[in-house]
Amino acid sequence: MIFSKEKTILAYTVEKCPKCEKLNKRDFTKGDILFTNSSKCSFCGEVTTIEKIFGEVLE
Amino acid sequence: MGDDTNPLMMLIWILPIILFVFYGQQIQLLVTSGEIKKGIKKLDRFRLNSKKELIDYVENNLNPTNDPTKKIEQFLDYFTIMPVDMDPSGIVEKVRHTVRSREDYTRNHIKSMSPEINDIELNRVQTLLEIASSLQMIHKIVNHMFLTAKKQKNYPLILPVQMILPFLMEHAEAMNSAIPAFKAGQPLGDGIGPMVVGKMMLNVEKEIISFQTALAKIEYEKRKLFLLKAEGPGSTVGRPDDAFQKIVDDNKIDAVIMIDAALKMEGEDSASIARGFGAAIGGIGTEKFQIEHIATQNKIPIFSIVVKQSVKEAITLMSKEIADQADNVRSQVYEMILENTTEGQSIVVIGVGNTAGVPQ
Repeated sequence: MIFSKEKTILAYTVEKCPKCEKLNKRDFTKGDILFTNSSKCSFCGEVTTIEKIFGEVLE
Repeated sequence: MGDDTNPLMMLIWILPIILFVFYGQQIQLLVTSGEIKKGIKKLDRFRLNSKKELIDYVENNLNPTNDPTKKIEQFLDYFTIMPVDMDPSGIVEKVRHTVRSREDYTRNHIKSMSPEINDIELNRVQTLLEIASSLQMIHKIVNHMFLTAKKQKNYPLILPVQMILPFLMEHAEAMNSAIPAFKAGQPLGDGIGPMVVGKMMLNVEKEIISFQTALAKIEYEKRKLFLLKAEGPGSTVGRPDDAFQKIVDDNKIDAVIMIDAALKMEGEDSASIARGFGAAIGGIGTEKFQIEHIATQNKIPIFSIVVKQSVKEAITLMSKEIADQADNVRSQVYEMILENTTEGQSIVVIGVGNTAGVPQ
């Protein structure tokens, strides 16, 4: 609703590569849990771990 | 004849005065009622939404043996009678017993709906049940106070409701907004303590030292650290007081560091970090009492680090600002250890808070 005061919060997951320390922010998907292994690093191919899960207000 | 002696003008002046003298309270009651009614409507919406979300979650995820609606509705009306406090001696023990009995009852109640349920799902449903039950209770109390004042046409009786309503609405809105995060198993703002300690525990052997509470032992700069947090990633706060007692029974502890989320004051920045003394732990007070008691008996200093946040931030999905502070808090914990202890000493580090979505 245009006049609604309620803000939409989107959940994000930040993956960190343990080798090259690159961070990758993506949308949160069901089953994401902090500190667990996630996808492969797009730079070096190492398995990333989930560093943070947080919400951001949709601007 | 001037206006001031005109009988009609006099009547126009006098009538409202008479009206306000005799019916002032009723008029005020009418105006205030409108605002409170809006609040009650909103509370009713929250109450129904939380109940619906809970029933949907149970039906879709737990494969209940029978229709869970009736059982859930029954449970939502359960109340807890706090022990009598005319003789305060031993009251903490009584409160702890009452609260833990209720928690045990809730767990058994959920298990009876779905005997195959795992611990993570059980904790999740237990939290959703507590949210729905709290929202039902808030709605019931506010509605009761409002209707009593209206029935007796007693304006002063409605004043406390009017004063307390914004605070209750803030809490109720926070609880209502917390439901999606709990359902999805996401970390909450309150989970910053467990998040900091959980990362320190990674790749170290863990044991369950007390009910839903994990312990890991590590070495840091020739000091022995006992890391404590609720057992994640289920939605629980664990029993850090029992765990602390067990550690102190078997070891000589020189300091305790507690990391928790704290309610920020108006004007304070969200996610700002503050350090201090004393046990940083919320809840009903029994755990705080127990930790303080053990620390006093054994002359152990308690240091704390808190991350400031609002009620809503504390129980909804962790904000970016709070998540970004995790590394900073961790480095402050290590700094605090070096500043306040010497080599060879033992320190208990407790990550206080709900560990939903935060493993170790």
